[in-house]
Amino acid sequence: MAGLLALSRAIDRVNEFIGKWIAWAILVSILVSAGNAIIRKAFNMSSNAWLELQWYLFGAAFMLAAAYTLKQNEHIRIDIVYGMFSRRIQHWIDLFGHVFFLMPFVLLMVWYFVPYVLLSFHSGEVSTNAGGLIIWPAKLILLAGFTLLSLQGVSEIIKKVAVIAGVIDDPTPSIPTHPPIEAEVLTDTAEPRA
Amino acid sequence: MIEFIAQNMAPIMFASLVVFLLIGYPVAFSLAANGLLFFFIGVELAPYSNNEITLSWPLLYALPDRFYGGVMANDTLLAIPFFTFMGIVLERSGMAEDLLDTIGQLFGPIRGGLAYAVIFVGALLAATTGVVAASVIAMGLISLPIMLRYGYDRRVASGVIAASGTLAQIIPPSLVLIVLADQLGRSVGDMYAGALIPGLVLTGIYMLYVLAVTIVRPKAMPALPIEARTLGTGVISLLIALVIAAAIAYAAYIWLEPTSGANADIWGATIGVVVIYVVALVDRGLKLDLMSRLAQQVVIVLIPPLALIFLVLGTIFLGIATPTEGGAMGAVGALIMAAAKGRLNLDLVKQALASTTRLSSFVLFILIGARVFSLTFYGVNGHLWVEHLLTSLPGGEVGFLIGVNILVFVLAFFLDFFELAFIVVPLLAPAAEKLGIDLIWFGVLLGVNMQTSFMHPPFGFALFYLRSVAPRVPYIDRITGRQIAPVATGQIYWGAVPFVVIQVLMVALTIAFPQMVMHYKSKAVEPGDIQILVPPPPGEQGLPGSLGLPPLGQPPTQATPPANGFTPAPANPPATDLSKPPSFN
Repeated sequence: MAGLLALSRAIDRVNEFIGKWIAWAILVSILVSAGNAIIRKAFNMSSNAWLELQWYLFGAAFMLAAAYTLKQNEHIRIDIVYGMFSRRIQHWIDLFGHVFFLMPFVLLMVWYFVPYVLLSFHSGEVSTNAGGLIIWPAKLILLAGFTLLSLQGVSEIIKKVAVIAGVIDDPTPSIPTHPPIEAEVLTDTAEPRA
Repeated sequence: MIEFIAQNMAPIMFASLVVFLLIGYPVAFSLAANGLLFFFIGVELAPYSNNEITLSWPLLYALPDRFYGGVMANDTLLAIPFFTFMGIVLERSGMAEDLLDTIGQLFGPIRGGLAYAVIFVGALLAATTGVVAASVIAMGLISLPIMLRYGYDRRVASGVIAASGTLAQIIPPSLVLIVLADQLGRSVGDMYAGALIPGLVLTGIYMLYVLAVTIVRPKAMPALPIEARTLGTGVISLLIALVIAAAIAYAAYIWLEPTSGANADIWGATIGVVVIYVVALVDRGLKLDLMSRLAQQVVIVLIPPLALIFLVLGTIFLGIATPTEGGAMGAVGALIMAAAKGRLNLDLVKQALASTTRLSSFVLFILIGARVFSLTFYGVNGHLWVEHLLTSLPGGEVGFLIGVNILVFVLAFFLDFFELAFIVVPLLAPAAEKLGIDLIWFGVLLGVNMQTSFMHPPFGFALFYLRSVAPRVPYIDRITGRQIAPVATGQIYWGAVPFVVIQVLMVALTIAFPQMVMHYKSKAVEPGDIQILVPPPPGEQGLPGSLGLPPLGQPPTQATPPANGFTPAPANPPATDLSKPPSFN
């Protein structure tokens, strides 16, 4: 168990690192997009590569941060029923979901994405837009996102089993029922409660 | 038995989705798991299904491309992080606080004034941020204590605050409208144009409600007493300032018209606004006191948000910028505004980015999950089942709209708008299109309706946000020194009820008067240059959200994309509505 928990901690650290830093891609994307708009108006110039860079960056942000979002327990649930259960039953639901909902999906996607990315890489696939970017890095981001999610899934399963077995403390002791689905702007001032 | 299951896969799949979602595991992965499970069952049962099921293993190869082309390379969805980031930065820069303080002073002296101020500021925030939580919490923290201090009825006060905060859902630029536009396969710009008037009408109805309450029960909303008007009087000075500004704007317009032609009105207005803003700043900076303090404050506080609204919505409506670009410009504008207030720092940017990333991640993963679900659901002809179910509602178009709106209204008690938009709306859209219903109109209707999901007791988010900042225990007011009773949860719930009723009324009005939305068709858009310069990314093809599905039963070889990067089989493009101006996003 100790070895598995060490693995879990390592995965958590990697995904936390990636999840925190990749957020800056959104700021870059905003600046690129605003720059594109201004340059197009001011100089009547436009570059497809720069336009495509916007969603490359955003794609990287949301795909690579998905695992961190899972770790932080921020993927939204419908918790009308879930919220009524005791924390212990919630753990079992989470474990069930990790094993039977999350893992089959993300592993299957990794399985399908490897040949998909390889094909794109070997054929040197380029965007059909004139002057567009090469495609395979974007597809690789999708593969990387699902790979990180699979790893995080493993980590979550280890932690859930350990919590249920009483080996470690619950990392998120209370789940606010129905957490704010919008960017929880104000955790410092507000903790929505039922 | 097997035949029965095979031939009724769609209803069975849908029912089990409800169960999957209710378990409470994250929606994104429950959707995907449900889609995959029924994919496997479907393939196995296909021989028994009398050709009802058109699933085969190679179809799964379509998934990577559906994620790449339909989710990642999607310019429309790019607006989500941009507007979210903008809203959070503005919220953190204290714009709401400044506005509420000042507008409250301006309207305070009339009966119900604070309520009008909350609605006005709510609409103003809605036009800049589109984030409900920010508006409700800011207003709950700032306006609610003042309202309680001067004896506002608790139910009315909390209802006004919660409802005004939800205006962010319907007044552009709202996230709901972006998602709806994506799911309905329409342009965000059209959706914004269509939603603008209903949004403003709704704001007007809220104000009428306040007016009605002040007439029927004057004691529910008293005017602020003299000692509470810290900015003093000076409305006349403000009016004079406004008249002068208008005069300058008109003069600039006359002066510029020969040279800059059609744009003279915009430039004239800009000059007038800038002049009055600079005068107010100088007046305050040098203590000349040409204007009253109230006038100074109103001008200084109100103009930056108005400028930002113009920067974002003005440029989108005039066809200068795409909604995505508008969002990016707005985000940069918000950063500049925060910097001007001296509130921009690394911490603020980091927090805003973290929240934006988290929101983007879970929203887009719901979309990814919904795409897995729809791949299977269409494979078992689920869309035909839903379409048949909905088009057989009595009463034709109106019957359909009423039925659908009741359905959404009920679902809104349990689901939030992302879930509704990604799971329910794609099922409704084909039926609506088949009945010849304009999808922008349909989208705006759903938008107004889904706004109630924020106000429904007991799960409405706006009510949660307000509860979290409203006093729970009696406290001593620091101005009057009197003890103020807490706001009970029941009062918050009851306060929301009249506004839910107003919302239903607004849905009815929008059904009765489609012109409020339909004007989007006549707006002069010259999308030509924009469309050439911003080609849709490869593989996107303007698919109507998760409805885009590669034709079923294609040979497996096609599932691996050819080298040119196009989606294999660019899924039957939605019947492009040629009667409307080309989309410009």
